[in-house]
Amino acid sequence: MLRTIKPKNARSKRALKNREPKVEENPKQAIFIRGSSTNQIVNTALSDLCSIKKPYSIMFSKKNAIHPFDDQSSLEFFSQKNDASLFCVGTNSKKRPNNLVFVRMFDYQVLDMIELGIENFKSLHDFKSTKSSIGMKPLFVFNGELFEQREEYKKLKNMLLDFFRDEVAESVNLKGLEYIISVTAEPVANPTDFGKVFFRVYTIQMKKSGTKQPRIELEEMGPSFDFVFRRNRFAGEDVMKEATKIPKELQAKKVKNITHNDVGDKMGRIHMKKQNFDNLQTRKMKALKKKFNKVEENNKEEPSTKKAKTA
Amino acid sequence: MEVQLKNDKSKFKSTEVEKAIPLEYDLGNLAAFDTNPIDPKALKKGKDDFLKQLTRDNAQLIMNAIFNLPTKSSEDGVFATLPEPTTVIPREKPVPKEKILTRWEKFAKAKGIQKKKRSRFEYDEETGEYKARYGYDHTKNKEEIPEDWLIEVPKNADPMEDQYEKRANEKKERIESNKKRQKRNQEEAEAIRKNINPREARKQELLNKSLIAKTSTASLGRFDKKLKNEPKVKNQGIRKHRDSNTGDMKAEKEKTLEILEKTIEKKK
Repeated sequence: MLRTIKPKNARSKRALKNREPKVEENPKQAIFIRGSSTNQIVNTALSDLCSIKKPYSIMFSKKNAIHPFDDQSSLEFFSQKNDASLFCVGTNSKKRPNNLVFVRMFDYQVLDMIELGIENFKSLHDFKSTKSSIGMKPLFVFNGELFEQREEYKKLKNMLLDFFRDEVAESVNLKGLEYIISVTAEPVANPTDFGKVFFRVYTIQMKKSGTKQPRIELEEMGPSFDFVFRRNRFAGEDVMKEATKIPKELQAKKVKNITHNDVGDKMGRIHMKKQNFDNLQTRKMKALKKKFNKVEENNKEEPSTKKAKTA
Repeated sequence: MEVQLKNDKSKFKSTEVEKAIPLEYDLGNLAAFDTNPIDPKALKKGKDDFLKQLTRDNAQLIMNAIFNLPTKSSEDGVFATLPEPTTVIPREKPVPKEKILTRWEKFAKAKGIQKKKRSRFEYDEETGEYKARYGYDHTKNKEEIPEDWLIEVPKNADPMEDQYEKRANEKKERIESNKKRQKRNQEEAEAIRKNINPREARKQELLNKSLIAKTSTASLGRFDKKLKNEPKVKNQGIRKHRDSNTGDMKAEKEKTLEILEKTIEKKK
Protein backbone atom coordinates (compact mmCIF):
# COMPACT_ATOMS: atom_id res chain seq x y z
CA MET A 1 0.00 0.00 0.00
CA LEU A 2 1.07 3.55 -0.68
CA ARG A 3 0.91 6.04 2.09
CA THR A 4 -2.16 8.17 1.97
CA ILE A 5 -1.27 11.63 0.78
CA LYS A 6 -2.86 14.73 2.15
CA PRO A 7 -2.83 17.40 -0.54
CA LYS A 8 -0.94 20.53 0.37
CA ASN A 9 -2.11 22.77 -2.43
CA ALA A 10 -5.03 23.16 -4.77
CA ARG A 11 -3.24 21.61 -7.73
CA SER A 12 -2.38 18.36 -5.98
CA LYS A 13 -5.84 18.34 -4.47
CA ARG A 14 -7.35 18.46 -7.94
CA ALA A 15 -4.97 15.75 -9.15
CA LEU A 16 -5.93 13.47 -6.28
CA LYS A 17 -9.58 14.16 -6.80
CA ASN A 18 -9.20 13.07 -10.40
CA ARG A 19 -8.03 9.68 -9.15
CA GLU A 20 -11.02 9.06 -6.90
CA PRO A 21 -13.72 6.64 -7.99
CA LYS A 22 -16.11 8.37 -10.35
CA VAL A 23 -19.49 7.70 -11.84
CA GLU A 24 -18.16 8.21 -15.34
CA GLU A 25 -14.62 6.99 -15.32
CA ASN A 26 -11.47 8.32 -16.90
CA PRO A 27 -10.10 6.36 -19.84
CA LYS A 28 -7.98 3.49 -18.61
CA GLN A 29 -4.25 4.09 -18.58
CA ALA A 30 -1.99 1.27 -19.68
CA ILE A 31 1.55 0.51 -18.53
CA PHE A 32 3.88 -1.41 -20.82
CA ILE A 33 6.54 -3.06 -18.80
CA ARG A 34 9.45 -5.44 -19.36
CA GLY A 35 9.95 -8.49 -17.20
CA SER A 36 13.30 -9.62 -15.87
CA SER A 37 14.43 -11.01 -19.22
CA THR A 38 13.25 -9.90 -22.61
CA ASN A 39 14.38 -10.00 -26.20
CA GLN A 40 14.16 -7.74 -29.21
CA ILE A 41 10.81 -9.11 -30.34
CA VAL A 42 9.14 -8.52 -27.00
CA ASN A 43 10.63 -5.06 -26.65
CA THR A 44 9.46 -3.87 -30.05
CA ALA A 45 6.09 -5.52 -29.51
CA LEU A 46 5.68 -3.57 -26.27
CA SER A 47 6.71 -0.27 -27.78
CA ASP A 48 4.45 -0.81 -30.81
CA LEU A 49 1.43 -1.57 -28.66
CA CYS A 50 2.32 1.41 -26.50
CA SER A 51 2.35 3.72 -29.50
CA ILE A 52 -1.07 2.47 -30.60
CA LYS A 53 -2.46 3.07 -27.15
CA LYS A 54 -1.06 6.60 -26.90
CA PRO A 55 -1.85 8.99 -25.20
CA TYR A 56 -3.22 6.67 -22.53
CA SER A 57 -0.05 4.64 -22.21
CA ILE A 58 3.12 4.68 -20.17
CA MET A 59 6.24 2.86 -21.30
CA PHE A 60 8.56 1.56 -18.62
CA SER A 61 11.95 1.43 -20.21
CA LYS A 62 13.74 -0.56 -17.51
CA LYS A 63 13.47 -4.20 -16.65
CA ASN A 64 11.44 -5.18 -13.64
CA ALA A 65 11.42 -8.51 -11.86
CA ILE A 66 7.74 -9.06 -12.43
CA HIS A 67 6.02 -12.43 -12.52
CA PRO A 68 2.34 -11.60 -12.77
CA PHE A 69 1.13 -15.15 -12.15
CA ASP A 70 3.23 -15.61 -9.01
CA ASP A 71 3.31 -12.25 -7.33
CA GLN A 72 1.05 -9.32 -8.08
CA SER A 73 2.31 -6.96 -5.42
CA SER A 74 4.51 -4.90 -7.75
CA LEU A 75 1.72 -4.60 -10.31
CA GLU A 76 -0.55 -3.32 -7.57
CA PHE A 77 2.10 -0.84 -6.55
CA PHE A 78 2.62 0.47 -10.09
CA SER A 79 -1.11 0.64 -10.62
CA GLN A 80 -1.60 2.82 -7.60
CA LYS A 81 1.43 4.95 -8.23
CA ASN A 82 0.53 5.73 -11.85
CA ASP A 83 -3.24 5.49 -11.58
CA ALA A 84 -3.18 2.88 -14.31
CA SER A 85 -5.41 -0.14 -14.56
CA LEU A 86 -4.07 -1.95 -17.59
CA PHE A 87 -0.73 -3.70 -17.90
CA CYS A 88 1.10 -5.39 -20.66
CA VAL A 89 4.09 -7.33 -19.34
CA GLY A 90 6.62 -8.67 -21.81
CA THR A 91 8.97 -11.51 -20.92
CA ASN A 92 11.08 -14.07 -22.69
CA SER A 93 12.23 -17.35 -21.20
CA LYS A 94 13.14 -20.82 -22.40
CA LYS A 95 9.86 -22.20 -21.12
CA ARG A 96 7.72 -19.40 -22.50
CA PRO A 97 9.48 -17.57 -25.32
CA ASN A 98 8.16 -14.20 -26.54
CA ASN A 99 5.55 -13.79 -23.90
CA LEU A 100 3.01 -11.03 -23.38
CA VAL A 101 0.75 -10.89 -20.34
CA PHE A 102 -2.28 -8.65 -20.53
CA VAL A 103 -3.46 -7.66 -17.06
CA ARG A 104 -6.49 -5.72 -15.96
CA MET A 105 -6.89 -4.18 -12.53
CA PHE A 106 -9.94 -3.32 -10.52
CA ASP A 107 -9.59 -1.08 -7.51
CA TYR A 108 -5.78 -1.46 -7.78
CA GLN A 109 -6.10 -5.24 -7.50
CA VAL A 110 -5.53 -7.71 -10.31
CA LEU A 111 -8.86 -8.58 -11.92
CA ASP A 112 -7.84 -10.92 -14.71
CA MET A 113 -4.79 -11.89 -16.73
CA ILE A 114 -4.27 -13.51 -20.10
CA GLU A 115 -0.88 -14.74 -21.22
CA LEU A 116 -0.19 -14.89 -24.91
CA GLY A 117 2.81 -16.13 -26.81
CA ILE A 118 3.97 -14.17 -29.85
CA GLU A 119 4.60 -16.02 -33.07
CA ASN A 120 5.26 -14.35 -36.35
CA PHE A 121 5.68 -10.81 -35.18
CA LYS A 122 5.92 -7.86 -37.53
CA SER A 123 6.58 -4.43 -36.17
CA LEU A 124 4.91 -1.14 -36.93
CA HIS A 125 8.08 -0.06 -38.72
CA ASP A 126 8.24 -3.14 -40.95
CA PHE A 127 5.24 -1.88 -42.86
CA LYS A 128 5.92 1.01 -45.16
CA SER A 129 2.49 2.53 -44.95
CA THR A 130 0.70 5.56 -43.62
CA LYS A 131 0.23 5.43 -39.88
CA SER A 132 -2.77 6.63 -37.96
CA SER A 133 -2.36 9.77 -35.93
CA ILE A 134 -2.08 9.69 -32.15
CA GLY A 135 -5.18 9.53 -30.00
CA MET A 136 -7.60 8.27 -32.64
CA LYS A 137 -10.25 5.82 -31.59
CA PRO A 138 -9.83 2.47 -33.30
CA LEU A 139 -12.55 0.38 -34.89
CA PHE A 140 -12.65 -3.25 -33.82
CA VAL A 141 -13.61 -6.33 -35.65
CA PHE A 142 -13.57 -9.79 -34.10
CA ASN A 143 -13.77 -12.58 -36.64
CA GLY A 144 -14.64 -16.16 -35.89
CA GLU A 145 -17.40 -17.96 -34.10
CA LEU A 146 -15.03 -18.95 -31.28
CA PHE A 147 -15.28 -15.45 -29.85
CA GLU A 148 -18.92 -16.20 -29.06
CA GLN A 149 -18.51 -19.78 -27.96
CA ARG A 150 -15.45 -20.30 -25.80
CA GLU A 151 -14.89 -18.69 -22.43
CA GLU A 152 -11.17 -17.95 -23.00
CA TYR A 153 -11.86 -16.32 -26.35
CA LYS A 154 -14.69 -14.27 -24.90
CA LYS A 155 -12.41 -13.01 -22.16
CA LEU A 156 -9.69 -12.21 -24.67
CA LYS A 157 -12.18 -10.27 -26.76
CA ASN A 158 -13.33 -8.31 -23.75
CA MET A 159 -9.74 -7.70 -22.65
CA LEU A 160 -8.57 -6.42 -26.03
CA LEU A 161 -11.64 -4.23 -26.41
CA ASP A 162 -11.04 -2.80 -22.98
CA PHE A 163 -7.34 -2.36 -23.64
CA PHE A 164 -7.53 -0.36 -26.85
CA ARG A 165 -10.91 1.36 -26.84
CA ASP A 166 -9.70 4.41 -24.87
CA GLU A 167 -12.43 6.76 -23.77
CA VAL A 168 -16.13 6.10 -24.24
CA ALA A 169 -17.26 8.75 -26.69
CA GLU A 170 -20.73 10.09 -27.25
CA SER A 171 -19.97 11.04 -30.80
CA VAL A 172 -17.17 10.39 -33.21
CA ASN A 173 -15.77 12.37 -36.10
CA LEU A 174 -16.37 10.42 -39.28
CA LYS A 175 -13.05 11.56 -40.69
CA GLY A 176 -11.28 10.50 -37.48
CA LEU A 177 -11.93 6.80 -38.03
CA GLU A 178 -8.42 6.08 -39.13
CA TYR A 179 -7.58 2.53 -38.21
CA ILE A 180 -9.08 -0.80 -37.41
CA ILE A 181 -7.92 -3.56 -35.11
CA SER A 182 -8.83 -6.93 -36.48
CA VAL A 183 -8.68 -10.01 -34.27
CA THR A 184 -9.31 -13.34 -35.92
CA ALA A 185 -9.64 -16.70 -34.20
CA GLU A 186 -8.20 -19.58 -36.17
CA PRO A 187 -10.83 -22.32 -36.52
CA VAL A 188 -10.04 -25.48 -34.55
CA ALA A 189 -10.92 -29.05 -35.39
CA ASN A 190 -11.19 -30.23 -31.81
CA PRO A 191 -13.51 -28.18 -29.57
CA THR A 192 -11.06 -28.25 -26.65
CA ASP A 193 -8.04 -27.16 -28.69
CA PHE A 194 -6.82 -23.64 -28.90
CA GLY A 195 -6.05 -22.14 -32.26
CA LYS A 196 -3.93 -19.13 -33.00
CA VAL A 197 -5.33 -15.65 -32.72
CA PHE A 198 -4.35 -13.24 -35.47
CA PHE A 199 -4.01 -9.66 -34.34
CA ARG A 200 -3.77 -7.20 -37.24
CA VAL A 201 -3.97 -3.45 -37.46
CA TYR A 202 -4.94 -1.68 -40.66
CA THR A 203 -5.34 1.95 -41.63
CA ILE A 204 -8.61 2.81 -43.29
CA GLN A 205 -8.92 4.66 -46.55
CA MET A 206 -12.29 6.00 -47.51
CA LYS A 207 -12.96 6.10 -51.24
CA LYS A 208 -15.87 7.51 -53.18
CA SER A 209 -18.64 5.04 -53.79
CA GLY A 210 -21.45 7.09 -55.25
CA THR A 211 -23.52 6.44 -52.13
CA LYS A 212 -23.67 7.93 -48.66
CA GLN A 213 -21.25 5.36 -47.31
CA PRO A 214 -17.68 5.42 -48.54
CA ARG A 215 -15.93 2.46 -50.09
CA ILE A 216 -13.38 1.16 -47.60
CA GLU A 217 -9.90 0.07 -48.52
CA LEU A 218 -7.34 -1.13 -45.99
CA GLU A 219 -3.60 -0.93 -45.73
CA GLU A 220 -1.74 -2.90 -43.11
CA MET A 221 -0.15 -0.59 -40.59
CA GLY A 222 1.21 -3.03 -38.01
CA PRO A 223 1.98 -4.34 -35.54
CA SER A 224 0.92 -7.81 -36.52
CA PHE A 225 0.93 -10.79 -34.17
CA ASP A 226 -0.01 -14.42 -34.30
CA PHE A 227 -0.87 -15.11 -30.70
CA VAL A 228 -1.04 -18.46 -28.96
CA PHE A 229 -2.87 -18.93 -25.68
CA ARG A 230 -0.81 -19.70 -22.61
CA ARG A 231 -1.75 -19.31 -18.96
CA ASN A 232 -4.66 -17.23 -17.77
CA ARG A 233 -6.37 -16.21 -14.59
CA PHE A 234 -9.90 -14.88 -14.60
CA ALA A 235 -11.76 -12.91 -11.98
CA GLY A 236 -14.06 -14.54 -9.47
CA GLU A 237 -17.75 -14.10 -9.95
CA ASP A 238 -18.29 -11.77 -7.02
CA VAL A 239 -15.37 -9.52 -7.96
CA MET A 240 -16.60 -9.33 -11.54
CA LYS A 241 -20.07 -8.48 -10.28
CA GLU A 242 -18.64 -5.66 -8.20
CA ALA A 243 -16.57 -4.45 -11.15
CA THR A 244 -19.44 -4.41 -13.61
CA LYS A 245 -21.87 -2.62 -11.33
CA ILE A 246 -23.60 0.29 -12.98
CA PRO A 247 -23.86 3.37 -10.77
CA LYS A 248 -27.34 4.52 -9.86
CA GLU A 249 -26.87 7.74 -11.80
CA LEU A 250 -26.24 5.92 -15.07
CA GLN A 251 -29.02 3.40 -14.79
CA ALA A 252 -31.88 4.04 -17.15
CA LYS A 253 -34.86 5.51 -15.37
CA LYS A 254 -38.03 3.51 -15.39
CA VAL A 255 -40.66 5.21 -17.51
CA LYS A 256 -44.06 4.94 -15.94
CA ASN A 257 -47.38 4.64 -17.74
CA ILE A 258 -45.91 4.62 -21.24
CA THR A 259 -45.89 1.42 -23.26
CA HIS A 260 -45.24 0.53 -26.83
CA ASN A 261 -47.28 -2.13 -28.56
CA ASP A 262 -46.08 -4.54 -31.23
CA VAL A 263 -46.97 -2.25 -34.08
CA GLY A 264 -44.77 0.46 -32.61
CA ASP A 265 -47.51 2.73 -31.33
CA LYS A 266 -46.86 4.65 -28.16
CA MET A 267 -49.52 4.07 -25.55
CA GLY A 268 -49.96 6.28 -22.54
CA ARG A 269 -52.01 5.63 -19.47
CA ILE A 270 -53.47 8.63 -17.70
CA HIS A 271 -55.26 8.82 -14.41
CA MET A 272 -58.20 11.20 -14.11
CA LYS A 273 -60.74 12.32 -11.59
CA LYS A 274 -64.31 11.17 -11.91
CA GLN A 275 -65.87 13.16 -14.70
CA ASN A 276 -68.98 15.23 -14.25
CA PHE A 277 -71.21 14.31 -17.15
CA ASP A 278 -73.49 17.27 -16.60
CA ASN A 279 -70.78 19.63 -17.76
CA LEU A 280 -69.54 17.38 -20.49
CA GLN A 281 -68.90 19.14 -23.75
CA THR A 282 -70.57 17.18 -26.49
CA ARG A 283 -70.59 18.00 -30.13
CA LYS A 284 -71.11 21.66 -30.82
CA MET A 285 -74.07 22.57 -32.99
CA LYS A 286 -75.11 25.97 -34.12
CA ALA A 287 -78.71 25.38 -33.24
CA LEU A 288 -77.86 24.63 -29.62
CA LYS A 289 -75.87 27.83 -29.07
CA LYS A 290 -76.78 29.94 -26.08
CA LYS A 291 -77.46 33.07 -28.07
CA PHE A 292 -80.36 31.37 -29.82
CA ASN A 293 -81.79 30.66 -26.42
CA LYS A 294 -81.51 34.31 -25.55
CA VAL A 295 -83.25 35.41 -28.67
CA GLU A 296 -86.18 33.25 -27.80
CA GLU A 297 -86.27 34.65 -24.31
CA ASN A 298 -86.03 38.17 -25.67
CA ASN A 299 -88.93 37.56 -27.86
CA LYS A 300 -90.99 36.45 -24.89
CA GLU A 301 -90.22 39.35 -22.57
CA GLU A 302 -89.06 42.31 -24.50
CA PRO A 303 -88.23 44.89 -21.85
CA SER A 304 -85.82 42.75 -19.88
CA THR A 305 -82.88 42.58 -22.26
CA LYS A 306 -80.47 43.55 -19.51
CA LYS A 307 -81.65 40.78 -17.26
CA ALA A 308 -81.20 38.21 -19.95
CA LYS A 309 -77.61 39.28 -20.38
CA THR A 310 -76.79 38.84 -16.77
CA ALA A 311 -78.61 35.56 -16.44
CA MET B 1 -32.24 8.06 -66.88
CA GLU B 2 -32.06 4.88 -64.84
CA VAL B 3 -29.38 3.47 -67.06
CA GLN B 4 -27.30 6.54 -66.57
CA LEU B 5 -27.54 6.25 -62.79
CA LYS B 6 -26.50 2.65 -62.90
CA ASN B 7 -23.47 3.55 -64.96
CA ASP B 8 -22.65 6.32 -62.56
CA LYS B 9 -22.62 3.91 -59.65
CA SER B 10 -20.61 1.24 -61.35
CA LYS B 11 -17.77 3.72 -61.80
CA PHE B 12 -16.98 3.11 -58.15
CA LYS B 13 -16.53 -0.13 -56.29
CA SER B 14 -19.53 -1.28 -54.31
CA THR B 15 -20.07 -0.70 -50.61
CA GLU B 16 -22.23 -3.77 -50.30
CA VAL B 17 -21.00 -6.94 -48.62
CA GLU B 18 -22.86 -10.19 -48.35
CA LYS B 19 -22.64 -12.29 -45.21
CA ALA B 20 -24.38 -15.55 -44.34
CA ILE B 21 -24.86 -14.45 -40.74
CA PRO B 22 -25.21 -10.71 -40.29
CA LEU B 23 -22.64 -9.10 -38.01
CA GLU B 24 -23.35 -8.05 -34.48
CA TYR B 25 -22.38 -4.50 -33.65
CA ASP B 26 -21.41 -2.63 -30.56
CA LEU B 27 -21.25 0.81 -32.11
CA GLY B 28 -20.69 2.48 -28.74
CA ASN B 29 -17.27 0.82 -28.78
CA LEU B 30 -17.00 0.99 -32.59
CA ALA B 31 -16.82 -2.78 -32.65
CA ALA B 32 -18.27 -5.48 -34.87
CA PHE B 33 -18.41 -9.22 -34.19
CA ASP B 34 -18.41 -11.55 -37.14
CA THR B 35 -19.61 -15.01 -36.15
CA ASN B 36 -19.44 -16.52 -39.61
CA PRO B 37 -17.29 -19.65 -39.62
CA ILE B 38 -13.88 -19.17 -41.17
CA ASP B 39 -12.75 -21.48 -43.93
CA PRO B 40 -9.53 -23.10 -42.64
CA LYS B 41 -8.28 -23.98 -46.13
CA ALA B 42 -8.57 -20.45 -47.42
CA LEU B 43 -6.86 -19.20 -44.29
CA LYS B 44 -3.93 -21.56 -44.78
CA LYS B 45 -3.55 -20.75 -48.44
CA GLY B 46 -2.80 -17.08 -48.12
CA LYS B 47 -3.17 -16.01 -44.54
CA ASP B 48 -2.42 -12.32 -44.77
CA ASP B 49 -4.44 -11.71 -47.91
CA PHE B 50 -7.35 -13.66 -46.51
CA LEU B 51 -7.28 -11.73 -43.24
CA LYS B 52 -7.05 -8.44 -45.08
CA GLN B 53 -9.99 -9.29 -47.32
CA LEU B 54 -12.07 -10.52 -44.39
CA THR B 55 -11.29 -7.42 -42.37
CA ARG B 56 -12.02 -5.15 -45.32
CA ASP B 57 -15.47 -6.64 -45.76
CA ASN B 58 -16.23 -6.33 -42.07
CA ALA B 59 -14.75 -2.84 -41.92
CA GLN B 60 -17.03 -1.89 -44.80
CA LEU B 61 -20.02 -3.23 -42.90
CA ILE B 62 -19.19 -1.46 -39.66
CA MET B 63 -18.48 1.76 -41.55
CA ASN B 64 -21.84 1.48 -43.28
CA ALA B 65 -23.47 1.08 -39.88
CA ILE B 66 -21.61 4.08 -38.49
CA PHE B 67 -22.44 6.25 -41.48
CA ASN B 68 -26.10 5.38 -41.01
CA LEU B 69 -26.11 6.77 -37.47
CA PRO B 70 -27.63 10.20 -36.86
CA THR B 71 -25.02 12.87 -37.46
CA LYS B 72 -24.28 16.38 -36.34
CA SER B 73 -22.03 18.65 -38.30
CA SER B 74 -19.80 21.28 -36.78
CA GLU B 75 -16.74 23.27 -37.77
CA ASP B 76 -14.45 20.29 -37.25
CA GLY B 77 -16.41 17.94 -39.45
CA VAL B 78 -19.33 15.58 -39.33
CA PHE B 79 -19.87 13.74 -36.06
CA ALA B 80 -21.87 10.54 -35.75
CA THR B 81 -23.74 10.20 -32.49
CA LEU B 82 -22.88 6.84 -31.01
CA PRO B 83 -25.28 4.71 -29.01
CA GLU B 84 -24.40 3.42 -25.52
CA PRO B 85 -21.80 0.64 -25.53
CA THR B 86 -23.41 -2.76 -25.11
CA THR B 87 -20.38 -4.88 -24.25
CA VAL B 88 -20.04 -5.16 -20.50
CA ILE B 89 -16.58 -3.96 -19.62
CA PRO B 90 -15.46 -3.92 -16.00
CA ARG B 91 -14.88 -0.62 -14.28
CA GLU B 92 -11.48 0.61 -13.23
CA LYS B 93 -12.52 1.57 -9.72
CA PRO B 94 -15.56 0.71 -7.60
CA VAL B 95 -18.73 2.74 -7.85
CA PRO B 96 -18.29 5.87 -5.72
CA LYS B 97 -19.87 5.67 -2.30
CA GLU B 98 -22.69 8.00 -1.58
CA LYS B 99 -21.61 11.01 0.43
CA ILE B 100 -22.93 10.97 3.98
CA LEU B 101 -24.79 14.21 4.55
CA THR B 102 -24.28 16.38 7.58
CA ARG B 103 -27.27 17.37 9.69
CA TRP B 104 -27.45 20.76 8.01
CA GLU B 105 -27.22 19.27 4.53
CA LYS B 106 -30.03 16.86 5.37
CA PHE B 107 -32.16 19.70 6.64
CA ALA B 108 -31.38 21.89 3.64
CA LYS B 109 -32.27 19.08 1.30
CA ALA B 110 -35.58 18.49 3.01
CA LYS B 111 -36.38 22.17 2.94
CA GLY B 112 -35.10 22.68 -0.55
CA ILE B 113 -32.51 25.23 0.47
CA GLN B 114 -29.84 25.65 -2.15
CA LYS B 115 -26.32 26.88 -1.70
CA LYS B 116 -25.82 30.26 -3.24
CA LYS B 117 -22.48 31.09 -4.73
CA ARG B 118 -21.18 34.27 -3.27
CA SER B 119 -19.53 36.31 -5.96
CA ARG B 120 -15.87 37.02 -5.52
CA PHE B 121 -16.37 40.70 -6.39
CA GLU B 122 -18.52 43.15 -4.59
CA TYR B 123 -19.80 46.52 -5.66
CA ASP B 124 -18.32 49.30 -3.64
CA GLU B 125 -20.86 52.08 -3.53
CA GLU B 126 -18.48 54.76 -2.38
CA THR B 127 -15.99 54.43 -5.19
CA GLY B 128 -18.43 52.95 -7.69
CA GLU B 129 -16.09 50.15 -8.53
CA TYR B 130 -16.05 46.41 -8.07
CA LYS B 131 -13.71 45.25 -5.34
CA ALA B 132 -12.62 41.75 -4.39
CA ARG B 133 -14.37 40.55 -1.28
CA TYR B 134 -11.24 38.78 -0.07
CA GLY B 135 -7.83 37.70 -1.28
CA TYR B 136 -5.78 39.53 -3.87
CA ASP B 137 -6.67 43.18 -4.44
CA HIS B 138 -9.28 43.41 -1.74
CA THR B 139 -7.23 46.30 -0.28
CA LYS B 140 -8.90 47.95 2.57
CA ASN B 141 -7.67 51.38 3.36
CA LYS B 142 -5.74 51.14 6.58
CA GLU B 143 -6.50 54.69 7.50
CA GLU B 144 -10.16 54.14 6.96
CA ILE B 145 -12.23 54.21 10.10
CA PRO B 146 -13.49 50.73 10.94
CA GLU B 147 -17.18 50.05 10.61
CA ASP B 148 -17.66 49.28 14.27
CA TRP B 149 -15.88 52.27 15.67
CA LEU B 150 -19.08 52.93 17.57
CA ILE B 151 -21.55 50.40 18.91
CA GLU B 152 -24.92 51.43 20.17
CA VAL B 153 -25.64 50.10 23.67
CA PRO B 154 -28.95 48.24 23.64
CA LYS B 155 -31.74 49.78 25.63
CA ASN B 156 -31.92 47.37 28.55
CA ALA B 157 -28.26 46.49 28.65
CA ASP B 158 -25.95 47.21 31.50
CA PRO B 159 -24.22 50.50 30.55
CA MET B 160 -20.93 49.35 32.04
CA GLU B 161 -20.80 46.23 29.85
CA ASP B 162 -18.10 46.24 27.22
CA GLN B 163 -19.94 45.74 23.93
CA TYR B 164 -16.72 44.98 22.04
CA GLU B 165 -15.83 42.20 24.43
CA LYS B 166 -19.35 40.89 24.25
CA ARG B 167 -19.14 40.67 20.48
CA ALA B 168 -15.81 38.92 20.61
CA ASN B 169 -17.11 36.43 23.16
CA GLU B 170 -20.18 35.70 21.10
CA LYS B 171 -18.04 35.00 18.09
CA LYS B 172 -15.83 32.68 20.10
CA GLU B 173 -18.87 30.77 21.29
CA ARG B 174 -20.19 30.45 17.79
CA ILE B 175 -16.90 29.02 16.63
CA GLU B 176 -16.82 26.61 19.54
CA SER B 177 -20.32 25.34 18.97
CA ASN B 178 -19.69 24.97 15.27
CA LYS B 179 -16.63 22.88 15.99
CA LYS B 180 -18.71 20.69 18.25
CA ARG B 181 -21.27 20.20 15.52
CA GLN B 182 -18.54 19.40 13.05
CA LYS B 183 -17.20 16.75 15.38
CA ARG B 184 -20.66 15.31 15.87
CA ASN B 185 -21.20 15.14 12.14
CA GLN B 186 -17.92 13.31 11.70
CA GLU B 187 -18.76 10.82 14.43
CA GLU B 188 -22.18 10.20 13.00
CA ALA B 189 -20.78 9.71 9.52
CA GLU B 190 -18.29 7.20 10.88
CA ALA B 191 -21.06 5.28 12.60
CA ILE B 192 -23.15 5.22 9.43
CA ARG B 193 -20.17 4.00 7.46
CA LYS B 194 -19.84 1.13 9.94
CA ASN B 195 -23.56 0.47 9.60
CA ILE B 196 -24.38 1.36 13.20
CA ASN B 197 -27.16 3.64 14.32
CA PRO B 198 -25.36 6.90 15.28
CA ARG B 199 -27.43 7.22 18.44
CA GLU B 200 -26.43 3.73 19.55
CA ALA B 201 -22.80 4.44 18.77
CA ARG B 202 -22.90 7.58 20.89
CA LYS B 203 -24.54 5.69 23.73
CA GLN B 204 -21.93 2.97 23.62
CA GLU B 205 -19.12 5.48 23.60
CA LEU B 206 -20.53 7.31 26.60
CA LEU B 207 -20.90 4.06 28.48
CA ASN B 208 -17.33 3.08 27.76
CA LYS B 209 -16.11 6.47 28.91
CA SER B 210 -18.10 6.25 32.12
CA LEU B 211 -16.60 2.84 32.87
CA ILE B 212 -13.11 4.24 32.37
CA ALA B 213 -13.94 7.18 34.59
CA LYS B 214 -14.99 4.82 37.37
CA THR B 215 -11.59 3.24 37.60
CA SER B 216 -10.13 6.60 38.49
CA THR B 217 -11.59 6.78 42.00
CA ALA B 218 -9.70 5.41 45.00
CA SER B 219 -12.03 2.41 45.23
CA LEU B 220 -12.01 1.81 41.48
CA GLY B 221 -15.70 2.50 41.39
CA ARG B 222 -16.69 0.03 44.08
CA PHE B 223 -18.65 2.57 46.11
CA ASP B 224 -19.91 4.66 43.20
CA LYS B 225 -23.55 5.05 42.47
CA LYS B 226 -24.65 2.48 39.98
CA LEU B 227 -26.11 3.67 36.71
CA LYS B 228 -29.32 2.32 35.33
CA ASN B 229 -28.63 -0.76 33.18
CA GLU B 230 -24.94 -0.57 33.91
CA PRO B 231 -23.16 -3.65 32.63
CA LYS B 232 -21.38 -5.79 35.18
CA VAL B 233 -17.64 -5.42 35.00
CA LYS B 234 -15.44 -8.28 36.01
CA ASN B 235 -12.99 -7.62 38.83
CA GLN B 236 -14.33 -4.15 39.40
CA GLY B 237 -12.98 -2.55 42.52
CA ILE B 238 -10.20 -5.05 42.99
CA ARG B 239 -6.89 -3.42 43.36
CA LYS B 240 -3.62 -5.12 42.55
CA HIS B 241 -1.27 -4.79 45.48
CA ARG B 242 2.31 -4.51 44.46
CA ASP B 243 5.13 -5.64 46.75
CA SER B 244 7.08 -2.90 48.30
CA ASN B 245 10.39 -2.07 46.71
CA THR B 246 12.32 -2.30 49.96
CA GLY B 247 12.27 -5.01 52.57
CA ASP B 248 12.26 -8.75 52.16
CA MET B 249 15.53 -9.54 50.37
CA LYS B 250 15.15 -13.30 50.73
CA ALA B 251 11.78 -13.45 49.02
CA GLU B 252 13.04 -11.26 46.19
CA LYS B 253 16.07 -13.46 45.66
CA GLU B 254 13.87 -16.55 45.48
CA LYS B 255 11.62 -14.90 42.99
CA THR B 256 14.39 -13.86 40.63
CA LEU B 257 16.02 -17.29 40.86
CA GLU B 258 12.73 -18.87 39.98
CA ILE B 259 12.45 -16.75 36.85
CA LEU B 260 16.02 -17.58 35.91
CA GLU B 261 15.41 -21.29 36.28
CA LYS B 262 12.31 -21.12 34.17
CA THR B 263 14.08 -19.36 31.35
CA ILE B 264 17.00 -21.81 31.41
CA GLU B 265 14.59 -24.72 31.32
CA LYS B 266 12.82 -23.23 28.37
CA LYS B 267 16.06 -22.85 26.49
CA LYS B 268 16.88 -26.48 27.02
